[in-house]
Amino acid sequence: MLDPSPVNTPFYYFDFNATTPLAGEVLALVPDALAHYGNPSSIHSASRFAKTVLRETRQRLAELIGCSPLEIIFTSGGSESNNAIIKSVFFENFPEKNHFLCSSVEHPSVMKTFEWLSEQGVHVEKIPVGRNGFLDLQELEKKITDRTALVSIMAANNETGTLFPIRRIVELAHAKGSLVHTDAVQMLGKRKFSVQDWDVDYASFSAHKFYAPKGLGFIYSKKGKPFQPLIHGGGQERGRRGGTENTLSLFYFNEVLKSRMPQIEEKSEQMKTLRNYFESSVLKNISDVSITALESLRLPNTSSLVIKGVDGETLLMALDLKGFAVSTGAACSSGNPEPSPALIAMGLSKFEAQNSLRISIGWQTTQSEVDALVFELKSVVARLRSFLNKELPL
Amino acid sequence: MNLVKKPKVLVAMSGGVDSSVAAALLVEQGYDVIGATMQVWDYSQCEVDEGQGTCCSSIDVDDARSVADRLKIPFYVLNCESHFREQVINPFIESYLQGQTPLPCSNCNTFLKFDHLIRKMHELECDFLATGHYAQISKDESGHHLIASEDLWKDQTYFLFTLKAELLSKLIFPVGHLKKPEVRRLAEKFALTNARKKDSTGICFVGSNSYKDFLKKEIPIEVQKQKTGWIKRFPNGDKMIQHEGIHLFTIGQSRALGMTHHEKLYVIKIDPTDNTVWVGAESDLYSSELEVQDCYHLQNWQENEVVDVKIRSTHAGARAQLIKQPSGWKMKFLEPQRAITPGQAAVIYRNQELLGGGWIL
Repeated sequence: MLDPSPVNTPFYYFDFNATTPLAGEVLALVPDALAHYGNPSSIHSASRFAKTVLRETRQRLAELIGCSPLEIIFTSGGSESNNAIIKSVFFENFPEKNHFLCSSVEHPSVMKTFEWLSEQGVHVEKIPVGRNGFLDLQELEKKITDRTALVSIMAANNETGTLFPIRRIVELAHAKGSLVHTDAVQMLGKRKFSVQDWDVDYASFSAHKFYAPKGLGFIYSKKGKPFQPLIHGGGQERGRRGGTENTLSLFYFNEVLKSRMPQIEEKSEQMKTLRNYFESSVLKNISDVSITALESLRLPNTSSLVIKGVDGETLLMALDLKGFAVSTGAACSSGNPEPSPALIAMGLSKFEAQNSLRISIGWQTTQSEVDALVFELKSVVARLRSFLNKELPL
Repeated sequence: MNLVKKPKVLVAMSGGVDSSVAAALLVEQGYDVIGATMQVWDYSQCEVDEGQGTCCSSIDVDDARSVADRLKIPFYVLNCESHFREQVINPFIESYLQGQTPLPCSNCNTFLKFDHLIRKMHELECDFLATGHYAQISKDESGHHLIASEDLWKDQTYFLFTLKAELLSKLIFPVGHLKKPEVRRLAEKFALTNARKKDSTGICFVGSNSYKDFLKKEIPIEVQKQKTGWIKRFPNGDKMIQHEGIHLFTIGQSRALGMTHHEKLYVIKIDPTDNTVWVGAESDLYSSELEVQDCYHLQNWQENEVVDVKIRSTHAGARAQLIKQPSGWKMKFLEPQRAITPGQAAVIYRNQELLGGGWIL
């Protein structure tokens, strides 16, 4: 149980795909780390702590995702990673190769980057994803040509949790000479995987999805594949990303990796059991609920519900007032949710998208928290449904 | 320990001083308060100096949020863009295309604040809805009454004439009994960040440009072309000059008529059937009666009763007799009134109590 809110206590958090709370076991180490102010690029010994943190984090990450430490580039987060990779491929290949492919359910940091590329004269096409979560691989195969510079398809969808067949996508793309990027921001800590098995050329990650602070992410860039920096600067990250490193977040991330990497498989199973328990409990207790992309292979922690006749925005507020944090889709900085474009792209109607609710659990979520959520959800849904189609004053 | 459940209030917070103080007063009075801002318009299109006097800019949402933080109350932004487009913007545009002068704030009250938000109030298990309107509600054995604000200069009851009588018992106007300077003093007392913010004026979604620029941008060129016609001199009908569309005129307008003339001319009538904009002398602007349709009744009035009628929000009100018509009412003023404008509301008061009103034909 967490208490991040000044307003509602107790507070139950079910939005781990938006961000995760900092790993508690590391908190006590922070004050000492704060004393180390050195710049990792300096030569004198004040830089040693930061240099060590950078090296260790890089090594651990390489081990975690199955690559060499040299293939990791630290960034400010998932959005920067996506931007840097896509724009790098664009600058390397345009105008000879001017065709880009992505799925119709990518994160805005991929979608908006492609929108910008379109304005630069690039031809971008989106591969459809059905409401069952399946990516149309035949369509992908048809669309890839020798003019295709990059295929960018996320490893796991943030809203439905659907896992895409990256290995197969890579085979199709490499056969035509196209590079492949995967936005793997939702993967860390949820499931075992390896970029080597995927055989992708680039991947994006973010630390705050794995119990570490915001403002830190990293890129996997396969050895020998071109990479042009988005941010030029003082030669950090072997010239691939300028700017003094976020050493405090790196310190935290390193400690999280140290303590949590060995537990990933066990926690993955635990979350999956709990998520399945949640879903069967919801279906048993609340009528007219469906689970989007249930048929697909999914992340173990994510559940995207369509609750017929209940506006997700109102449901979210009503649950928040009871102390339950859930989401209607992707987190939005304005705090002003629109029906999710990804769900609509999957073929849900505007109503279904508006009636959607995302539950994403984490390592510390307990069965009693899930029980409390289902109990409250049932009562709020019944109340909201009682107002349906009624004239004012209700 | 107090075992009585605190009454729960949803308060509409625009980010302005009035609704912020309203929220603060409710907290002080011991209510369980939830703040909400309706996001009605995409700010990125809105060329306003942020926070300088409209109720729809993103800075205003931030201001509302910071007040909610200060008061330690839950706060949410409600996405009302499509609702607002449908119920406020589209009728606003259509009204101008019909040669009328619309009253968007009233529609916003009717369809958003006192419909959509009332629904949210119920859905979030609140007992009341509060706003920062300058208006008062009194209660006696005959029921609830809507009374003009103590601050007659700021009184906003004119925009509330469409309120349903059944809703009055659900509404709280915490600043309605105050005058503006007192509201500002309270904002200082509560240390609200926006205590010195300028009053909102004008139409929130139009921004700092004129409403004409807004209409020119929003209405397709082809549609605008269908609205062009002649400016004619009243009463003889002399054609004076061609105009670019009746939607660009409003009754009483004397500037920007697109021509120079030796006497000052005023728009006195707009005829949507042939797109004629009639201009005449100032004296031609005056008339002694009007008719309304779609009447709203908060309280009953008598046939032939003489009441106070306001024909626009800034109008001081004038005595008029109410005469029943087959559909709607005729209002005969004891003294002629300037620039009675179709599309605006004629709102009926007995003493300071709002009885109802209707749309001017």
